[in-house]
Amino acid sequence: MLTKDYSYTIPGVTEHGFKQQLLRAVRFLMPFLIIGGLWEVSARAGWVHSSSLPAPSAILGSFWQLAWVKGVLWKHFISSLYRLVVGYLLATVAGVTVGALLSLRPTFRLLFEPVLSLLVSVPSIAWVPVLLIILGLDSRTVIAAVFLGAFFAITYNTMRGIETVNKNLVNAARLMGVNRVRLFFSVLLPGSLVSLITGLRLGIGYSWRALVGGEMLAAMVKWGLGTMVFQARFWNDVSMMFVGIIIIGLSGYLLDRTFLRWLEVVTVERWGMLATQK
Amino acid sequence: MDSEISPGSSITIRNLTKVFSGERKNLLALSQVNLDIPSGQITVLIGPSGCGKSTLLNMIGGFERPTEGTIFMDGKQIEKPAPDRGFVFQDYALFPWRTVLGNVMFGLVNTGWKKKEAEEQARRFINLVNLNGFEDAYPHTLSGGMKQRVAIARALAYDPKVLLMDEPFGALDAQTRKFMQQELERILMQTCKTVVFVTHSVIEAVYLADRIVVFTARPGTVKGVVEVDLPRARKYTDDAYLDTRGQVLSLLEEEVEKEIQQDGLEPPQD
Amino acid sequence: MKNKKNLIAAIPVVLFLVGWEILARNKVVNQALFPPPTVIAVELADLFFKGLPVQSELLNHVGETLVRVGLSFSLGLLVGMILGVAMGLSRLTYFFFNPLITMLMPIPGIALAPLFIVWFGFGNETIIPLGVLSAFFPVVYTTVAGVRSVDRQLVQAAQIMGASRWKVISSVYLPWAAVYVFNGMKLGLARCWMTVIAVEFIAATNWGLGYLILSSSDNMRADIVYGGIFLLIVIYFVLERGVIHTLENRTIARWGMIHST
Repeated sequence: MLTKDYSYTIPGVTEHGFKQQLLRAVRFLMPFLIIGGLWEVSARAGWVHSSSLPAPSAILGSFWQLAWVKGVLWKHFISSLYRLVVGYLLATVAGVTVGALLSLRPTFRLLFEPVLSLLVSVPSIAWVPVLLIILGLDSRTVIAAVFLGAFFAITYNTMRGIETVNKNLVNAARLMGVNRVRLFFSVLLPGSLVSLITGLRLGIGYSWRALVGGEMLAAMVKWGLGTMVFQARFWNDVSMMFVGIIIIGLSGYLLDRTFLRWLEVVTVERWGMLATQK
Repeated sequence: MDSEISPGSSITIRNLTKVFSGERKNLLALSQVNLDIPSGQITVLIGPSGCGKSTLLNMIGGFERPTEGTIFMDGKQIEKPAPDRGFVFQDYALFPWRTVLGNVMFGLVNTGWKKKEAEEQARRFINLVNLNGFEDAYPHTLSGGMKQRVAIARALAYDPKVLLMDEPFGALDAQTRKFMQQELERILMQTCKTVVFVTHSVIEAVYLADRIVVFTARPGTVKGVVEVDLPRARKYTDDAYLDTRGQVLSLLEEEVEKEIQQDGLEPPQD
Repeated sequence: MKNKKNLIAAIPVVLFLVGWEILARNKVVNQALFPPPTVIAVELADLFFKGLPVQSELLNHVGETLVRVGLSFSLGLLVGMILGVAMGLSRLTYFFFNPLITMLMPIPGIALAPLFIVWFGFGNETIIPLGVLSAFFPVVYTTVAGVRSVDRQLVQAAQIMGASRWKVISSVYLPWAAVYVFNGMKLGLARCWMTVIAVEFIAATNWGLGYLILSSSDNMRADIVYGGIFLLIVIYFVLERGVIHTLENRTIARWGMIHST
């Protein structure tokens, strides 16, 4: 940043005390408060149609209604979460297994790596039309889409991770007389963890997108965040849409930031293995 | 390359103090520095790590402002970076997206030279540092020594009155370093600029300097000045050279020990 | 060497297709759900020739999608770069926009589609803005990182050589950030492609690759669905290799600044 005295400063508060953290939180929320305020004012003053752009207070009201008065929000959320968890866990188990198996022989790697890398780049939602035909219009399609979204990313990253484990570690272990099974579990798997976690993170992002999209396209699904947003259109309830969208965004953000970040912290970061630490 | 050169400027530093405000506490880098840098001479600043010599150079360059005190160049206060000075960085700071020629031309174009004349002038300086044939090369293809020569050509091309060099050979291996010292001496003998040169190495200092300023450990201030009267071109093994070296070392050693203690280590016993 | 690698990569694909063909022909799997690849190829060819010489139906669909991607990607890239540079250079801009971007980025484009349909209606009015958004976010995010990471010494060198503020921005900040912008471009193109197709599923009314795929799905035409997905993969592959790689090689590779991820 070019400041007036030509000394270069990097934006951002660097202190760590409580007061500084509080200040930082306020500074983070400031744009939202400003925009929210302007929004509320324009809605009340009638500058925008309340039917197309309801005031934040109306959205909050809708949230209250859906969450507690009618209690449906919770049901939508849980349904989505259920599908996500099932599909994602299956993808993790399958992905890590297949990725690990494929990484064991160089021939497999040569054969499958390029194809996998290509499949990872297919948008997860592109599988949904196929799944709709094969599995029908209900929940199973959505779960399958979630699965596919994560599976390729996890498989590919697991494979790459094991492949790129520092050869010196492997040789050192071999010198110490480990057999193949032990080699896998005590050297290859931990060594590939950084890549694996990257795969998990990518996977959850793709899965989440597949989930929302799948719920919108699978017509017989009645409960789910995606469904909620989609159906709100038929009732012309824009407030409900906003509630759904905000929760979808928030959930996606939290999924990555909390759960997987936690995983990262207790394993690879503690072991000093992140690239940023090297 | 003779009558076109402007004579170097002189720099006057009075009561200079620099404090860095940090996360929890402040760092006093320089304290009450009083220094005269005479025009047309090579002044070398030497001192233990952390003594603030680079900070001082940055302030002469205009990249940092003093907390207290003044820096004057030819009677005018230095407030910001400007092309009346040239700067050579330890990490070369060459623009990777410009060729050698493009880099050397940069200052010329900014100071009002027309493109065609700027190119000719740049080529003259590339020739001066013995890099003919490399005008169209990109920096990442060059060795460390070559990159530094480009940096020197670039800093000299637009004829600044003062040349500032911040440990320019610090990133080079010993052989290249020696070669570059000789190259630099040759180049500077063809101009009469004021040069302020920061280094760690006493050998380098005595080889290049007309005047050596020794700094104390942090907070830095002037400990002593050694005038170097040896004829050019200098030899590393001359008696007079070794004498001067001894003089500087005696001033410096004490400060280096202090700095090691500051870092929490025990200085070596010998 | 490279061709050998490509050949090996193709083997599993070929085996897969051959296996599929055999299983489908021998009724081991339901032909309606998994039509043999040859049938798919024939159907695609049919669609390609349909309507010629005036126009090709298949090309119309693909073309519509490409136009949408091209337009929205360019717009998203432009806005993303401008805002990214502004945010990298100005504290105020950064502190205002960064929280908004952080919070809005994780929202999948398709989740916003119903909202946009209410506001703007079906068709391009919804598809293009969402495409712009999906390209915008990765670009602005990486551009900011690039501008903020500029080597301070390069800035100082430019300053002492007499560069004005604007000159410093254009001759140091922008070229430095270019590497990061390229990464953002790659991500942005991928996102844009994904989002346009996904939104086409919901919001397109007559043309578009996404529209083709979904309407075929509605009509239980699995063969066209598979064909569409195949085209989807191929076109994306070509786009990424063709457009971005060549651009990269012309600029940052020459400067020795590629960071391999």
